[in-house]
Amino acid sequence: MSMIRRLLALDGVNVVCHFRDDGYLIEGYGLMSHNDMGRLAQFARDYRRMIQGNADQLAMFTNMRGWTPPRGWIVRGVTQSVCGVANLVCVVDSSGAPLNEILLELREVSHW
Amino acid sequence: MTKLDELMKLPGAMAAFEFRGSGELLEQRIAYPDRIDESILDLLAHMCAANMSIATMQARGWEKVTTMTGFYPVQEFTLIGFDWSVVVSGLHREQYKQAGKFSLPPFMGVVMANEKADYEAAFAILEQQEPVP
Repeated sequence: MSMIRRLLALDGVNVVCHFRDDGYLIEGYGLMSHNDMGRLAQFARDYRRMIQGNADQLAMFTNMRGWTPPRGWIVRGVTQSVCGVANLVCVVDSSGAPLNEILLELREVSHW
Repeated sequence: MTKLDELMKLPGAMAAFEFRGSGELLEQRIAYPDRIDESILDLLAHMCAANMSIATMQARGWEKVTTMTGFYPVQEFTLIGFDWSVVVSGLHREQYKQAGKFSLPPFMGVVMANEKADYEAAFAILEQQEPVP
């Protein structure tokens, strides 16, 4: 079984995708069409780069260590949230999902 | 007790702050002034305001292109840095907008040390319902 697929076993995880550094979808599972998973992968890659740029600038302007390199991001909507860690992205329910556990699992799986 | 004070009780909380939609820092609590000060929070607030706007644009576009729902409006944005995380919320602003108010409350956020960060607890405080006057 794919390593990232186990993320779907966590409560509230609806979609999980793994993408290359150029944003190409390597594998994706869950309640989403393959086309939309491809879009999600591209979005997550772009968002990751933007977050990296922001964290770099924050560190440069403030001289505060500890922001870079960023480990991840969460955008929380009304009922759906998107979480990114390394080259993984998840869509999860905004309410009831064990977000702390999901982030830990994403970090662990991202090292495989 | 204000919400900023509640946020400061979170495990690993380093600072809690309020800021305008344009990013200006309005009010703050700081637990470790040797690590994070008002000028850093001000820049962080501007970065978070920019990210809330960008995430809102992306959620809007995503819902349009996929016909999926539940992403817009964006309620919170979180950056998980190497050692620190920042969680910011615009939920109360959305509640004021939906109530037809033109004058909106500030965004609110908290900076936490990653090793103790409890994101679910931070969201729970930031999402506590408050009456719209």
